[in-house]
Amino acid sequence: MTHATTTPSGQPLGISHKPSPCRQLFAEFKADDKPAFIGYLPYGFPNPEVSLTAFKTLVDNGVDIVEIGLPYSDPVMDGPVIQAASQIALNNGEKIAGVFKAVETVANAGGVPLIMSYWNLIYHYGVERFAADFANAGGAGLITPDLIPDEAGEWIEASDRHGLDRIFLVSPDSSDERLKIVAKNARGFVYAASRMGVTGEQATLSSSPEQLVARTRAAGAENVCVGIGVSTPEQGRTVGQYADGVIVGSALVHTMLDEHGHALADPGAGLTLLAERATALAEGIHNARK
Amino acid sequence: MSVLDELVAGAVEDQRSREQEITLDELKARAATMPAPLDAKRWLRRADGIPVIAEIKRASPSKGFLADIDDPAALAREYEQGGASAISVLTEGRKFLGSLDDLDRVRAAVDIPVLRKDFIVNDYQVWEARAHGADLVLLIVAALDDDNLQHLLDLTNELGMTALVETHTREEIERAIKAGADVIGINARNLKNLKVDVSKYSELADNLPENVIRVAESGVFGSVEVEDYARAGADAVLVGEGVATADDHVLAVERLVKAGAKVKASEETPLAEHEGPYFGQFGGRYVPEALITALDELERVYNEAKVDPEFQKELKRLNQQYVGRPSPLTEAPRFAERLKEKTGLDAHVFLKREDLNHTGAHKINNAIGQALLVKRMGKTRVIAETGAGQHGVATATVCAMMGLKCRIYMGQVDARRQALNVARMRMLGAEVVEVTLGDRILKDAINEALRDWVTNVEDTHYLLGTVAGPHPFPAMVRDFQKIIGEEAREQLQDWYGIDHPDAICACVGGGSNAIGIMNAFLDDDRVNLYGFEAGGNGPESGRHAIRFAPGTGELGMFQGAKSYLLENSEGQTLDTYSISAGLDYASVGPEHAWLKDIGRVNYSWATDEEAMEGFKDLCETEGIIPAIESSHAVAGAYKAARDLKEKGYEHPVMIINISGRGDKDMNTAGKWFGYLTDDQAKALEANGASGSQTA
Repeated sequence: MTHATTTPSGQPLGISHKPSPCRQLFAEFKADDKPAFIGYLPYGFPNPEVSLTAFKTLVDNGVDIVEIGLPYSDPVMDGPVIQAASQIALNNGEKIAGVFKAVETVANAGGVPLIMSYWNLIYHYGVERFAADFANAGGAGLITPDLIPDEAGEWIEASDRHGLDRIFLVSPDSSDERLKIVAKNARGFVYAASRMGVTGEQATLSSSPEQLVARTRAAGAENVCVGIGVSTPEQGRTVGQYADGVIVGSALVHTMLDEHGHALADPGAGLTLLAERATALAEGIHNARK
Repeated sequence: MSVLDELVAGAVEDQRSREQEITLDELKARAATMPAPLDAKRWLRRADGIPVIAEIKRASPSKGFLADIDDPAALAREYEQGGASAISVLTEGRKFLGSLDDLDRVRAAVDIPVLRKDFIVNDYQVWEARAHGADLVLLIVAALDDDNLQHLLDLTNELGMTALVETHTREEIERAIKAGADVIGINARNLKNLKVDVSKYSELADNLPENVIRVAESGVFGSVEVEDYARAGADAVLVGEGVATADDHVLAVERLVKAGAKVKASEETPLAEHEGPYFGQFGGRYVPEALITALDELERVYNEAKVDPEFQKELKRLNQQYVGRPSPLTEAPRFAERLKEKTGLDAHVFLKREDLNHTGAHKINNAIGQALLVKRMGKTRVIAETGAGQHGVATATVCAMMGLKCRIYMGQVDARRQALNVARMRMLGAEVVEVTLGDRILKDAINEALRDWVTNVEDTHYLLGTVAGPHPFPAMVRDFQKIIGEEAREQLQDWYGIDHPDAICACVGGGSNAIGIMNAFLDDDRVNLYGFEAGGNGPESGRHAIRFAPGTGELGMFQGAKSYLLENSEGQTLDTYSISAGLDYASVGPEHAWLKDIGRVNYSWATDEEAMEGFKDLCETEGIIPAIESSHAVAGAYKAARDLKEKGYEHPVMIINISGRGDKDMNTAGKWFGYLTDDQAKALEANGASGSQTA
């Protein structure tokens, strides 16, 4: 608490009553009866410079909310594609201090910037310090795959002070009790995992995400987005019929990897593929209810 | 005129004009008609939580306007619903925009103690508080001289109320105590920058009489400050802005109450019976939500099993008839001789022989316990990680015995240096998956196991092998391992007629064998406890797995728990190195982190070289080949002996936990000591069975 950000007169910041950026976006999209497209890429992949272009490419090609991943040495919720991309980013000198540039890039391009991070990275950086730097860069909120609301005291306090969204996850086997805890503590939206498991593409989606979205809404969540395993425009269209937003990760990351899981030799080619994939997904998702 | 003087003058002026309307005698008559005050002291200290005094606060001189509060009664009810133990009502009208009307409305709305917070310097104001139903009044030491403080405190007590006596300095605290204050508010705001300083609080609150209730009064905003103050010894907290300006007042108070309860539970004693999820500030469940259902189920089933005599009977039967427990406690006189030669200490040394268990290590104690739980949960598939291979072998063994499907994840580096154990697991019917991600050691095997578990949690149990990971693993694995220390204590008494050991030595990777032998002695201060981490090439080399030495581990969350962690400046997990695969882990069990912080266990390390020396010494003197992991405890015994000598022990009784046998390590040892011909060494090299190198 000695690091708490202060007002110019030296007083600790109070609760920010700044409206939730995600909530505002969903309100607009709901008015148009349209789901939002949330796209994920790790920051620093394949290297810091190209990744900034990649984030802008996402926004320019129909991504509404960008989930900026912070590469981590031990990503237990990620499958092989995102693991490989994160490792490439780390090998190419990714530094957490640089991620705020990505946040600014997304915000300047007109997207809503979120960061997805395993908790130790934020904790090590300093929760309050991270929240302050992130908010200054124009950040909207954090997705925390290994931080449940029960352990999130410090983050809840920092996000309250800085008006940042808190996106917690739920999964198909979450009890109603757990859904309530998540819904009560979330800000912005709740991230519903389409299936049990780690991130990664899959050929077919089960019917469980629809039930999970309905249960999460019943537990009090205002906005529920579905991710993990959504990879094609058709899947995006299906999920977009009932979810407030559709989250795509591995399928986007994949465009910038070769068949051996290495970064494409020509990043320009990767960015072209990324733009095409994003456009196709946006088309499927945004027209889901038409 | 100081800010305080100004506030007092204003409050007195307002009081005088009220006195024009209602005389002191009228007030006294009205006070007599009020229901008796609540004994606030009963509400402000409790064993299982940190009482929260929630404040109705519209504004303050330092922060200006804070919140519109049209209905203070409704707000007070929300605070009460959130679990507040008392409500503070500011009645100062000029700067805080409060009133006695607020106090009346709050008093009528809640059944918990109500504090009148104002600048109280005369009798009239105290009587006024009572006449409006207050149970507590605020007295600010800085605004009163000794006589006046004494007088108002006495009057408050006479009226059956409690005074919260606010202090800012040690000198004011002394004055408050002298006047007989038993509820002292401590304002630890640093007056230079107005920041709240918990260390300043600790300094101020130090050495207060036991009967005094300490209320942390400044800068409490959210659960972070409640935790900090609670760990610094505060009994209660007063919070204003953090709850008054929250969007959801009930939830805001609830969070504070939970944070306080968490700290209290995390420090519960006796140490030997301490339960998770928190060990001091360590532990918890830093895992994906997708695992919470499984962890909740495991906790529930384990709690039922723990008190089920049938479960305990079956566990005991298997321990005796299958594992071969109790494992002996062997006297080691020739090793004691060598210890004396090297350290000059004439110790009586015993070895706890977990190496004689079926499968050759302590790991089976936990594997059997958890496998019984798997049966109880009705799951059919077991996954596990392994470093040295001992836990993998133990898991594969019990799965074979109980007919469970089994998959073991092992880092490729470990799999190569423990090729024989890989073969053993496969013989036992387990599928062994070599993990080629990350550093290809224990932590990477755990990552892969966690991913498997997240995906297959419905029918799969993750049989974690050490006292790390998310709750309930640290406490549960400890419970299955604590038989080591319980037996040792009994054997020492029954076989050797010795009441208690003076020292215990154990190696610490994740920490299960160490916690297993230490648990029975945690609350016995006569027993010195020593834990030894893997020193690799030494702490300065950067090639080690020492988490506790200065400049090594930092606080962090890793694989489900908060503990000490080896990480780089970016928070990325560092590569670790040790000659022993079983100690080669970047973090350490949360209970050990706590025992380190409270100073109960003395943690140090043994380097590769020291451990191999210990390995050789035990082979030569006692005819016992210890695992290289356990050799760190043997080598550590020399360090412990030097420490004991320094403490003045002359003939101490020492127990070294031999957590496993070293047959699996003969390749590494043979090479280390040059007992292999060049050809043999080369053959092993080709096989990859050498240190941290893979072929």
